[in-house]
Amino acid sequence: MYFAWTVKHKPKSLSEIVGNKEAIQKFVDWVKSWERAVPKKRVAFLYGPPGIGKTVTVEALANDLKMELIEKNASDYRTEDAINRFAGLASQYNSLFGGKKIVLLDELDGLTGTSDKGGVKAITDIAKTAQCPIVLIANNAYDPRFSNLRNYSLLIEFKKPPTGEVMKHLKSICANEGIQADEDALKFIAQRSEGDVRSAVNDLQALSQGKKKLTYEDVSWLGYRDRQDTIFSVLRMIIYGRTCISAKQAVDMADVDIDMLFEWIYENVPEHLTDPHDLAEAMDALSMADVYRGRIRATQDWSLTRYVIDFMTAGVAMARRNTKTHGWIPFKFPARIQMLSRSKAERAMQLNIGYKIKRKCHISAYRASKETLPYLKIIFKNNVSMAAGIAKWLDLDPEMIEYITGNKEKTEAIIKQLS
Amino acid sequence: MSFEMWAEKYRPKTLDDMVNQKEIVERLKSFVKSRNVPHCIFAGPPGTGKTTAALCLARDLYGEPYREHIMELNASDERGIDVVRETVKTFARVRSIGEIPFKIMILDEADNMTSDAQQALRRTMERYTETCRFILCANYSGKIIEPIQSRCAPFRFSFLPREEHDKYLKHISENENVKLLKEGLDAVFEVCGGDLRKAINTLQAAASLNKPIDAKVVYSITGKASPADVQKMLEIAMKGNFMEARKQLREMIQKYGVAGSDIIRQIHTEIFRADIPEQWKIKLANIVGEIDYRLVEGADEEVQLSALLARLVEAANELEKSNKV
Repeated sequence: MYFAWTVKHKPKSLSEIVGNKEAIQKFVDWVKSWERAVPKKRVAFLYGPPGIGKTVTVEALANDLKMELIEKNASDYRTEDAINRFAGLASQYNSLFGGKKIVLLDELDGLTGTSDKGGVKAITDIAKTAQCPIVLIANNAYDPRFSNLRNYSLLIEFKKPPTGEVMKHLKSICANEGIQADEDALKFIAQRSEGDVRSAVNDLQALSQGKKKLTYEDVSWLGYRDRQDTIFSVLRMIIYGRTCISAKQAVDMADVDIDMLFEWIYENVPEHLTDPHDLAEAMDALSMADVYRGRIRATQDWSLTRYVIDFMTAGVAMARRNTKTHGWIPFKFPARIQMLSRSKAERAMQLNIGYKIKRKCHISAYRASKETLPYLKIIFKNNVSMAAGIAKWLDLDPEMIEYITGNKEKTEAIIKQLS
Repeated sequence: MSFEMWAEKYRPKTLDDMVNQKEIVERLKSFVKSRNVPHCIFAGPPGTGKTTAALCLARDLYGEPYREHIMELNASDERGIDVVRETVKTFARVRSIGEIPFKIMILDEADNMTSDAQQALRRTMERYTETCRFILCANYSGKIIEPIQSRCAPFRFSFLPREEHDKYLKHISENENVKLLKEGLDAVFEVCGGDLRKAINTLQAAASLNKPIDAKVVYSITGKASPADVQKMLEIAMKGNFMEARKQLREMIQKYGVAGSDIIRQIHTEIFRADIPEQWKIKLANIVGEIDYRLVEGADEEVQLSALLARLVEAANELEKSNKV
């Protein structure tokens, strides 16, 4: 039977966890301090990149100290209401079964958007009054949404463990599974995972499926997947394809998924199809591919993917009629993917300020972030006293003020007037 | 100068304070007198006093503790059906304590509610009429489903006439000791077109510069405050530069978070003003309409709109060729 090794070989005790010794010690000390009295910070906030053992640490600790672990994922507490129900649990240290209790709220990053409105605030409220240890886990504790929550939390950073530590873990799994693995092979997997232990274990399992021996040759092909020039030749086959079939075949060669391939084509088509009519036809084909993507999302019928492929490959290839071939034009990484991740944090900030405005101004947070915020930006740049007055009136926190002014000195001047 | 948002500070508190929308205010006053309010739709452009009228009505009706008897919900932030099922219903079904037997639910930006949510709302309105009256504020009453419209008394708000607009802004600038020049006032009206919230925000931002407000100051403010420059993007496309136009589009969507539907609406208006052959305009309108529909279906805003930009580049190119012949 297939059993994920990440689950099967999950550390049961703190001593088995890979790396992060200091962070774990800090966490253990804090949990033990509850035995004496309720500590100043009632919440521990574990943060760090994915797959490095944050959740596992909490589970192993509960196991080691024989505590009852109450665990919730982001999906369980979408609203303030749900969290308040949950708060009842946190009001007592002793569990129903006689032992001590520890409460874990995992995947806090998953709390987004308006449907979770109030979620973070409700957690903050619990953090002030909790009678038992509360543990929060997120990838990024410095997300603006958590700024207030951070004040009530003991922040514990989890870092990527070094390659050697990851290797040791892989070795012990191999020993357990009766697999003879080359040192080189394990080193390759560990390095490639860049500290993400979970993905390293997953790779190990995938590569040694049905094998008793694992050599460097068995794993090294993983590296080829990362080579960039495959995507370039795929793009060339599509944009300069002469027949529908050949353009469509390019998809099989691509080592990125369909959505990512779409982004590559969408980014690069305009520079390669310089004739306005050709470009319009190609963009039209891409927009049709996108329509089918939307239909897949709506119906969850993945068999429609073939039409997405038709339009984004053959459709684009057939658009090319008047464009002359000219010298070598390099292919570029999809810029909007890069921009998307950068501007995501910014939009979250805008919306958070929008909520502050909403509380005072009878306007939706969404519209406030679009319509009122630009005026605030002008005021905050020009008039420190007025800015300070408004900041106080709206109850903006320093991070928000800094975002609005976009300038450190102005921010300090405003904050100085506030105090 | 006072240091809060003036748009809020100078929001009228009672129906008597409301200088504009005379007929509407009179009707609302009669509701207060009879101590009964029907379900209402307040429709009209932004910044014309819809929310204010609702709040004033509530204050006049319940007196100062009016907050205990009303709930404000904004459909732009909470547009889903769950909100209607839970929040709205919970509020609506519990009887109010006090001499007036019903509460008031103010549903702002109600035209942003999904049609599912509106259907659910329709049932809630019917069932709890005894205990709760609804005031729906919307820019377009057409986006409210027919069955809800037929249950509501309609009120149509219009932009403030010039004199009212001027009187209001002058009153504020005197109160705040701001020097507002005649040309500055003209400029505010020109760019805000009677949207009072926008006008007051513009005035306050201009005042933050600490100098007399003339037309130049006003234009510099509004230039900075409206990043959604659809017109500029279209101009770039018409000059044949697709890459640059797409970049503008991308910034609008990603950096400033402008909704695709808003961009579409503006493009639709601009197309008929653009300097292209008349026959092209209707062709392009057809493409715009198709894309509008695709966006509603959940397609990618940037991909769809850039397909439109590519067509514009093509149109401009054809035009240039035919001019040469």
